[in-house]
Amino acid sequence: MAEMQNSNPTILNAADLPTRLRSTATRKSEYGGIFTSALPLAPVDFESAPSSDSEDDNLLEEPIDEQEIYDLISSISDPEHPISLGELAVVSLPDIEIKPTLPDVPDSPLQTVTVLITPTITHCSLATVIGLGVRVRLEQSLPSRFRMDVRIKEGTHSTGDEVNKQLADKERVAAALENGALMGVIAKMMETCH
Amino acid sequence: MSPKVTITHLSDLTPPSQERTWLTAPHPTLPIVATCSSDKTIRVYSLTNFTLLSTITGGHKRSVRTAAWKPHMTGESVLATGSFDATVGIWRRWDSYGQEDGAGMGMDSDDKQIPTDTLTAASNGTGTDTADREEDEEEWRFAVLLDGHDSEVKSVSWSASGMLLATCSRDKSIWIWEDLDDGDNNFETVAVMQEHGGDVKCVSWHPSEECLASGSYDDTIRLWREDLDDWGQVACIKGHGGTVWFLDWEGEETEGNWSGPIADSVSESELSSLQAQWRSQRALSGPRLLSCSDDRTVRVWRRQPKESQQTGALSSATTGIPSIIRPTGTDEVWEEDAVLPRAHELPVYAVAWSKRTGLVASAGADGRIALYEERFATREQEQEQQADSDAMDTTSGDVLRTEWVLVGVQDGAHGIYEINHVAWAKRADRRSGVEEEVLVSTADDGSVKVWTVTR
Repeated sequence: MAEMQNSNPTILNAADLPTRLRSTATRKSEYGGIFTSALPLAPVDFESAPSSDSEDDNLLEEPIDEQEIYDLISSISDPEHPISLGELAVVSLPDIEIKPTLPDVPDSPLQTVTVLITPTITHCSLATVIGLGVRVRLEQSLPSRFRMDVRIKEGTHSTGDEVNKQLADKERVAAALENGALMGVIAKMMETCH
Repeated sequence: MSPKVTITHLSDLTPPSQERTWLTAPHPTLPIVATCSSDKTIRVYSLTNFTLLSTITGGHKRSVRTAAWKPHMTGESVLATGSFDATVGIWRRWDSYGQEDGAGMGMDSDDKQIPTDTLTAASNGTGTDTADREEDEEEWRFAVLLDGHDSEVKSVSWSASGMLLATCSRDKSIWIWEDLDDGDNNFETVAVMQEHGGDVKCVSWHPSEECLASGSYDDTIRLWREDLDDWGQVACIKGHGGTVWFLDWEGEETEGNWSGPIADSVSESELSSLQAQWRSQRALSGPRLLSCSDDRTVRVWRRQPKESQQTGALSSATTGIPSIIRPTGTDEVWEEDAVLPRAHELPVYAVAWSKRTGLVASAGADGRIALYEERFATREQEQEQQADSDAMDTTSGDVLRTEWVLVGVQDGAHGIYEINHVAWAKRADRRSGVEEEVLVSTADDGSVKVWTVTR
């Protein structure tokens, strides 16, 4: 990457991020100034999250809630900074929603996970890569009965619709997964995930 | 919804691919199908006993996305395959199989390590040596790789005559290749069309004419014809609010085999007059085009008969097209004939229009297969529709109105998995000897299911 698109991002304190163990922290600190390596990095405490790498599609699995989705994606690193998407508030708990995919079929196991992404700057060309990282992380971690709906939060990006259309395109996502260079970037983002 | 149509699971094709399967292409004459898989192979299954006959390996370096059988071949089958590796493969095999229940045909099915040069060597030997040919007899021979697209190939389609092959890609282009049929597997590039503003997701040839339809990430459907040696766009249909994922054409009318709309409560004489009117309308417009989209809808499009295009274009106030650029020459006007009843909650990836019964099937990310039937509208419905659509009724009132009815829904047809493709296929039941039509669906988990649909 030749030049950083956002060399001065706002970073949340890891202690302020939502987890199941600690209830909301009241202190809200923001780090201004130049990014330094002394900042607290992930890992955040994920003890409460059940192992997500077991790929079984057992329908009797424990219900998966928004916090669990958050735990899965908040530890992904930003492609530009070694800071997690949670700390950068690119993903946040209130912007995650799980609902039945087929509301008219009560016994359908299908559920749709909607994740709204807030890019750190409105013209960030890495928004697609971040969105793809989130989608790939969820696809690899969640049972197949989940449908992913990863989108840029409305009004937070100059070309949000374009990015959203790409992220929703199954064929493009599948082809991206076979693209070595792109997957290298995504794998690096996920190094900080459990 | 009337329970007139039932969909029954007949069998799975076994063993399934361990990875996502994208599409299953039924052979035009033999009871076999070709399934495209993300594991870079094409699996050929029998529709007679539902087992794997052979696996075509070694040709593609990435997911195989699409495949199509060349029509009108005798004694030999020719398959075109398109891959995310940006290439199109042409494969050949002598027909002696499908009838043999696949005994000994699965030889290479587990051997995915066949080096490409082995296959190339086999193709070089074509027709030069009898011994070579005998050796090849049981095998799929890799004939040629069509190289030209810059990125993933999404769809391939043979023209009705089998002379032309259309391919399309994420590179926004459509290529038309002519199969020179010279015994040397030579293909010539006839045209490259680049008008689409996004990935071209699908191409589909008219059932009899050299007219190509394409659907795209740019949300449009376009039609292409050759005019004085030049291939060009003759229509651009804007209507869908999302990527157009798949297209299929209405069948040509086959003699003595009515596949048009049906009617419940009309007398026989009234029905035959409706059918006659329907036929003459069909003769003017030609077969209609069926499309499905990311916008969750399935739609039917009809070409305006040339005679009425004049009047259609004059009332341009409704279409927004200034009359100065109204269609001339080869341009065609296509209008929305119907939006089918909404049946999907997620993107609709595939539609298939039965050439035999006229039934339409759709499937998509919600794991649902939906079936629709076209019916002649009753007089009251006709009047209602007339009142509703007065403003936009630019065509003359003589268009025979029909309605599409959702007649069957199969939820979770592949369990929790997304369905990527559906196709109608002929299947001869060996016990009864009766040729029946089955629906073949292809899903994300690698499963391919065969369904019977009874009306």
